[in-house]
Amino acid sequence: MTRFGRMWVMTGLLLGLAMPAGPARAQEHAPAAAAQAGGHEIDIQHHIGDSHEIEIPFVGIYELPRFAPIHVGGLVIDLSPTKHLVFMLLSALIVALVFVLSARSIAGAQARGRPATGFAGAMEATTLWIRQEVILPTIGPHGDKFVPYLLTLFFFILAMNLFGLVPGGATATGNITVTAALAIIAFLVIEVTGMRTLGPKGYLGTIFYRPHGLPGGPGGAVLKVVLLAVLTPIELIGKLAKPFALAVRLFANMTSGHVLVLALIGLTFLFQSYTVGLGASVLATGVLLLELFVAFLQAYVFTLLTSVFIGLMREAH
Amino acid sequence: MVHALMLALQEEHTSGPLTVEGGLMLWTVFIFILLLLVLKRFAWPAILGAVEAREQALEQQLAEAERSRTEAAALLAEHKRLVADAKGQAHGIIVDARQLAEKERAAAMEKTKQEQQEFLARARREIDVERDRAIADLRREAVDLSLAAASKLIGERVGTDTDRKLVMDYLATLDGGR
Repeated sequence: MTRFGRMWVMTGLLLGLAMPAGPARAQEHAPAAAAQAGGHEIDIQHHIGDSHEIEIPFVGIYELPRFAPIHVGGLVIDLSPTKHLVFMLLSALIVALVFVLSARSIAGAQARGRPATGFAGAMEATTLWIRQEVILPTIGPHGDKFVPYLLTLFFFILAMNLFGLVPGGATATGNITVTAALAIIAFLVIEVTGMRTLGPKGYLGTIFYRPHGLPGGPGGAVLKVVLLAVLTPIELIGKLAKPFALAVRLFANMTSGHVLVLALIGLTFLFQSYTVGLGASVLATGVLLLELFVAFLQAYVFTLLTSVFIGLMREAH
Repeated sequence: MVHALMLALQEEHTSGPLTVEGGLMLWTVFIFILLLLVLKRFAWPAILGAVEAREQALEQQLAEAERSRTEAAALLAEHKRLVADAKGQAHGIIVDARQLAEKERAAAMEKTKQEQQEFLARARREIDVERDRAIADLRREAVDLSLAAASKLIGERVGTDTDRKLVMDYLATLDGGR
């Protein structure tokens, strides 16, 4: 096992150099998991799940401090930091740092009457692209006030997604709690926008929906009541399904890639074979490249769909 | 492998991937809102403002370019019109000058012809007068000569008026046959 393990550390390192990614992580963790389970198993659950410790590659495992849970009514809320919280904070810090510094650089360039160059220019171009091509066309006219929220959403999700591909990192968006929180914020933004733009009556129309053009008379009245009774639950489910889909889509996409990579690497230890190891590594590299793409894609999709829902709500019925 | 996955899933975890944790959710909302506020305050206005300012500057420049273009086009049209006018005028002047010259020439020709005619007529008249005078002179001379010859022939002086008249009458009959 030692010779075998060393070989794998080397392969993992090479892969890690080629790709800022997880085989090295899987490799790091494999012996521990194997020792723990007494077999050739990788603890996938442990990798994608949240925990109160952080592994720093080649350094060790760092235990995060724990606070006593707070009891609010019947709810128990544990505010002590977890692995995902740490990486979420790091993502937020990086996003804040990148964009505040870029904004300074851009403002400086603007003062000299020139467009920004280099990294700041790239950030500006990305921001502009999301604003012009994703947000404004889907929200419709006067969508400018949603731009800060949606831009923040995009870059925050993107940073969290990408952290999962950094050796030693974890994907906070691979945690249903995090995506659910983001989806709840999106839900609130969508519904509050509906209330503000449609007015109380218009907004209630999006819940208690009845189609126009029903026949008059007593028959029409009965039809109205029946349709209202049928359509209202559907409308309510529709409202809740949107953020639910947002949360699950992001969570599932970010989790599945990691599970796949870990499973592929796990094959090597299951079969104890160099051939399988080589094949699995090639496949895992491909999956990681795909994951890099998915990290961008899912941030884009979350942002795009949120703005589509806001746009739909603004011109509802 | 399926066995391994099953084992992993069966393992007891306080926080599995599908457990929703209230604490983490609160943290997520808090961090997101904080990030949104920071970026909204320090990043987005500067970035989007710069872009908008540049957009406006570009639009202004475009509008200016458009205006200069139309101005230039108008100027060009004006210029073309002026050139065409000048050409037309020059052409008119040339045509006029040619016509004038033609007229002048015709007039001069006419005048010359007339003068020539007059000159000819006068010459003819003078010739006629001269001829008449010459004829008259010749006639008188002829009368005198014939009378002298006759007197010589008859040895007497013939020179009376009656004689003279006689000769004259004879010559008058000749006149018709000339």
